Amino acid sequence: MRNFGYTVARTPADAVRTAAGIANSTFVAGGTDLLNLMRDGAETHDHLVDLNRLDLDDVTLDGQTLRIGALARMRGVAEHPRVRREFPVLSEALLASASPQVRNMASIGGNLSQRTRCGYFRDPGSACNKRDPGSGCPAVTGRNRGHAILGGGDHCIATHPSDLAVALTALDATVRLLGPDGARSVPIADFYLLPGTTPDRETAARPGELITRVDVPRTRVAADSRYLKLRDRATFEFAVVSVAAALRTRGRVVRDVRLAFGGIGTRPWRDTRVEAALLGRPLTEAAIGEAGRVLVRDADPRTENGFKVELVQRALASVLNELGGKR
Amino acid sequence: MTGLVGRGVARVDGRAKVTGAARYAADHEIPGMLHGHLVLSTVARGEITELDTSAALALPGVVAVLTHRDLPPLRVPSFPYLKGFVPMQDTRVHHSGQPVAHVVAETPEQAREAANLVRVRYRAERPTAHLAHALDEAFLPPLFRDEPNEFVRGDAGAALEAAAVRVEQDYSSPMMHHNPIEPHSSTAVWDGNSLTLYESAQGIVFTRRVVSIAFDLPEANIRIISPYLGGGFGAKGPTWSHTLLNAAVAREVGRPVRVTLTRAQMYTMNGHRAEYRRNLRLGATREGRLTAIVDTSTAQLTRTDHGVYNTSESTLRLYDCPNVHVRQLGVRLDLPSSSYMRSPETTAHFGLETALDELAHELGVDPVELRIRNHASADPHSGEPYSSKHLLDCYRIAARAFGWARRDPRPGSMRDGNVRVGWGMATETHTFSAIQSNVELTVDVDGRATLRAATQEIGTGTYTVITQVAADELGMPLEHVTTLLGDTAYPDAALSAASATVASVIGPVSQAAQDARKAVIALAVADPRSPLHGVPAEDVVAERGYLFARGDRGRRDSYRGALARHGRPVIVTGSRLNSSGHSYGAVFVEVRFDPRLATLRVSRVVTAYDPGRVLNHRTAHGQVIGGVTWGIGFALMEHTMVDPHTARVVNPNLSTYLVPVSADTPSVESFFVDRPDKGSTALGARGFGETPGTGVPAAIGNAIFHATGRRLRDVPFTRDKLL
Ligand SMILES: Cc1cc2nc3c(=O)[nH]c(=O)nc-3n(C[C@H](O)[C@H](O)[C@H](O)COP(=O)(O)OP(=O)(O)OC[C@H]3O[C@@H](n4cnc5c(N)ncnc54)[C@H](O)[C@@H]3O)c2cc1C
Ligand code: SF4
Repeated sequence: MRNFGYTVARTPADAVRTAAGIANSTFVAGGTDLLNLMRDGAETHDHLVDLNRLDLDDVTLDGQTLRIGALARMRGVAEHPRVRREFPVLSEALLASASPQVRNMASIGGNLSQRTRCGYFRDPGSACNKRDPGSGCPAVTGRNRGHAILGGGDHCIATHPSDLAVALTALDATVRLLGPDGARSVPIADFYLLPGTTPDRETAARPGELITRVDVPRTRVAADSRYLKLRDRATFEFAVVSVAAALRTRGRVVRDVRLAFGGIGTRPWRDTRVEAALLGRPLTEAAIGEAGRVLVRDADPRTENGFKVELVQRALASVLNELGGKR
Repeated sequence: MTGLVGRGVARVDGRAKVTGAARYAADHEIPGMLHGHLVLSTVARGEITELDTSAALALPGVVAVLTHRDLPPLRVPSFPYLKGFVPMQDTRVHHSGQPVAHVVAETPEQAREAANLVRVRYRAERPTAHLAHALDEAFLPPLFRDEPNEFVRGDAGAALEAAAVRVEQDYSSPMMHHNPIEPHSSTAVWDGNSLTLYESAQGIVFTRRVVSIAFDLPEANIRIISPYLGGGFGAKGPTWSHTLLNAAVAREVGRPVRVTLTRAQMYTMNGHRAEYRRNLRLGATREGRLTAIVDTSTAQLTRTDHGVYNTSESTLRLYDCPNVHVRQLGVRLDLPSSSYMRSPETTAHFGLETALDELAHELGVDPVELRIRNHASADPHSGEPYSSKHLLDCYRIAARAFGWARRDPRPGSMRDGNVRVGWGMATETHTFSAIQSNVELTVDVDGRATLRAATQEIGTGTYTVITQVAADELGMPLEHVTTLLGDTAYPDAALSAASATVASVIGPVSQAAQDARKAVIALAVADPRSPLHGVPAEDVVAERGYLFARGDRGRRDSYRGALARHGRPVIVTGSRLNSSGHSYGAVFVEVRFDPRLATLRVSRVVTAYDPGRVLNHRTAHGQVIGGVTWGIGFALMEHTMVDPHTARVVNPNLSTYLVPVSADTPSVESFFVDRPDKGSTALGARGFGETPGTGVPAAIGNAIFHATGRRLRDVPFTRDKLL
């Protein structure tokens, strides 16, 4: 791990200014991902700008918007009474993430910016297009059990690891950014990029842009939401497959539905065609089955991750049946 | 004797551990010490063509960067050095993650960063990474530590041919890693031609021998210190190359140097459980008597060594079968050397205990009953009688506690709503070794005792049981006995691997304590100033530090009084041989399986064991919890992933190499027959460390079959295999 400089930022503007003024610098919040990446040599930075003193840790629900400060901790958001009541999918996604110790440290901005868990990416001794553009993607023909079946290509098939991002994607959140050129908002659907030929570019945030908060619209459907996470051990692991779902029905007929998926896509995966397959129809086995088939229609499984095609459809059915009142 | 032996007393080193007073290998402060960091190869096979250390050397704080160009020749040591070569002696690369340079700097951070800056170029050759890619090259390896890899009893081929019922299946398991929480650390301090190593070692006496061979130094010049270990699971039993390289580097730079492996380095530097496949053919009568076992396994070897560590011991010796043919084949791959890992016999035993379940199902015989019908009442291979064996009691005790009699044998028949419930069982067994051990016991002038032995505490409770046994035999309170381990300055004693510690060390401890008690009593009765003067020595008893005349407790002396008058310590030694053997048990497992999402949980585990006499019920139960937990890991998740093209480990960390968390592990019940084995000189205790857990993977797979009707033969049983 290389020596680095360190500055504590006092205000968001100060953080952005400092980072812009120092070459090869980056932000640090809880440090739970960044420091591992730096220790492993997967990322190198000469300077860190510490965000932990910024007054950006509020969680408020005013009018029709839930505003989550970028420096709020995973634990605080997960346990916030109104988040639990009105946005259960967010709380559940956070509680299914990492461990209590990590959740006490880790921030929302850091969570959304964490890097993939692809083993090749985290090992500087391996090739990896995301870490070292142009070096190749060994996962495509190598060990890819954990990798994406949607949204990838021969340049990269890594999944985005954040559970929260999946839940926020289902609820149409907006990411608020502050950069040297001022503030702007990006819908979360546009925030995460497909790898294409540039898997090193993961988000729409420009270099030096700070996430200041995340806004989540308050909707009735958000209150009827949940997060289902499947993994290879009971806790403390990233998703093999996950589903964030919100559902409102009248009678058995689907009135509103939001679905996003983790573990299967190269970004938090939302496909509105899946929702369209359900909307206005009774929530039957047939409709659910059809929605699942729509979801995996373009799936491109590799040598080891083909099981996700089946598993994600079952996960979808399970979560919809549960939200629809049928166990 | 004060009844201390057997009692579940709390760990005598517990307080030191939780307060941080316990010094682990990397905690020792050595004045003037430098920090080393290894640079490991990124290719698995080939030659180093260029090694540029200039950028690393230019970094502030860096003292030296040593490579094969700088190191003196080191001799390749024998067992327990398991690699067939010492790295950094030439340009050849034998596996990915092999040391190619050793950076030394003032701080660990500087060393690590400088290691990143060492530029190495290779002429890479195509490696072979998986068994599947080289099965046609399988061969029967030559003797390993004088043991053959082929065993023949009777005529298994003919018996199989003639058998009324046959089961033939393949079983397999991937590469796995030990993953102790404490990383390996070695600190080398030279003083002229003498070397002290602060080491994370499961066998300091063996480490001394390995170092002595590598450096051509007399053993007397070498001292190994390892008072505490943060887990080993076999990874710290052998001595690995970082210890030798670091000591060589420390000599070159003329200052003490410490090297501590990173978690990722622990996936190529210190052994692993080899990838393994096995073809098993069982022949039996309609009544379920085994008539033949043909067992052909294939394990990953390397091009530089051929140790087979996952032996088919239970095929050979567990059941009473007249015709057995075992062949332990190997395939040379471009991977690091494998080694012993957590009950190495589990690897093979998983297949045998699964195959028996398949046979039971085929015959319609209860799996417990099948095992009882094939129970061996004498060693089936040697014909020797057992000095004691209570395996049948284990089946009975555990089955009753589990409620096995209520099991409906039909697969898929037991349900709880949507959830399928499965009950499975297996026999647990592992060999234990006994190694010549010596101890020294001093009763000091303050009347307190100190016991010294060059064995070590690897987390299993060695300090505690030794102290218990010594205090019991001496007739002293536990607090009056101090046990000192983990220093080769003490008398040579056993390696803490192969379940050998208790079996090897307890005999000498109890002998020394008895002799010390007798010596002090002799002093007292011969001393006119003692209230016991003139009492026949055999009529004096020792309790809680006092010495009484039997029948006249008013005549009382004490260790303290006797020693104070004597004016100098009483020092005795103990040394007693024991023989190796097996411990046995049974494990019963309940799984709950939700077919909708293929979610599996182990919901109940009940075990019963015959480890001879139990020296401490609490540490014995702790060993069961640990063994069962690792068994769950083996069955459900553990899996080192190796890239097929580069032969490089892809998941060298605890966030992607999964081990069970508490939520994966139900509470574990354990019962002990607790009858002394007359054949054991360790107060009737046998080695037990590795027995618990050996049957767990098969028991889980058998329970899955019972829940689902689906037979899994390839671990880990992950969700994708259950969809
Ligand atoms: C063992 C382990 C298990 C885990 N399991 C899960 C899991 O199951 N699910 C899951 O979702 N996550 C999991 N995580 C990831 C964890 O959620 C992230 O590490 C954490 O959220 C990162 O937050 P942080 O504040 O520590 O970020 P840091 O490590 O400080 O930063 C991470 C990145 O975010 C950038 N950053 C931080 N704040 C901002 C900001 N405001 N604006 C712009 N950029 C910013 C940093 O520059 C850096 O690039 C796990 C982590 C660990 C260590
Ligand atoms: S999948 Fe992506 S992150 Fe992983 S090796 Fe390929 S390019 Fe790198």
